Amino acid sequence: MKRDSDVKWMEVPAMKRMSGLMSLFFLAMLMAFPPCFAAQYDFKKMTPEINQALKNRQARYGNLQRLKQAGLIGENNQGYVTNLKSDPLAVSVASAENTDRGVIYRALVQQNTLGPNGMREVQRAFAEVQNEKASAGEFIQTASGDWIQKSS
Amino acid sequence: MKKSKKMINVFIALLLVTGCTVKAVGDPNRPITINANVVVDIRGLKQTATNIEDMVAQGGAK
Repeated sequence: MKRDSDVKWMEVPAMKRMSGLMSLFFLAMLMAFPPCFAAQYDFKKMTPEINQALKNRQARYGNLQRLKQAGLIGENNQGYVTNLKSDPLAVSVASAENTDRGVIYRALVQQNTLGPNGMREVQRAFAEVQNEKASAGEFIQTASGDWIQKSS
Repeated sequence: MKKSKKMINVFIALLLVTGCTVKAVGDPNRPITINANVVVDIRGLKQTATNIEDMVAQGGAK
């Protein structure tokens, strides 16, 4: 009588063998390559200052978008906004917006202990995101410092 | 021979998984200064930036 221990590998049905091999392969991949998860940077503590900065930015958002569309304000490559034509309204809106952005950036750097280069990296990340989100016709500053009008 | 090869492979795999330990030797009374370079994951930062900007835009659109 044939016992289970007498069954050789080649006698195991093909599907079973295949699933076993796949499991081993998957395990090997997991061990060989570290999980590709992006690090989680976030507000570890939502302070009143951060809350107010976010609320201010939300309240100002529509106004800021209109000024960007009109070409009076542009997104620079440091993650802040810049006046492009010295319009009085644009000057005050840009100044307030930059103050609130600074609060948010500093909070991210401090709460995620990003080190001495952390502010530069945070600014760079936000600048890239702002560039990507900019609508056609808005002015953005490239990494090399040139101001361009986004086409699409 | 097959069994010993298997054992060697298991041992190498364990070694890779375990990693290595660093032992500091010196005067126990002397303060230790550690200089650490923080590596920032730009992908993670961009994700955070995207989330924050989306929240601002959604809140501003109301």
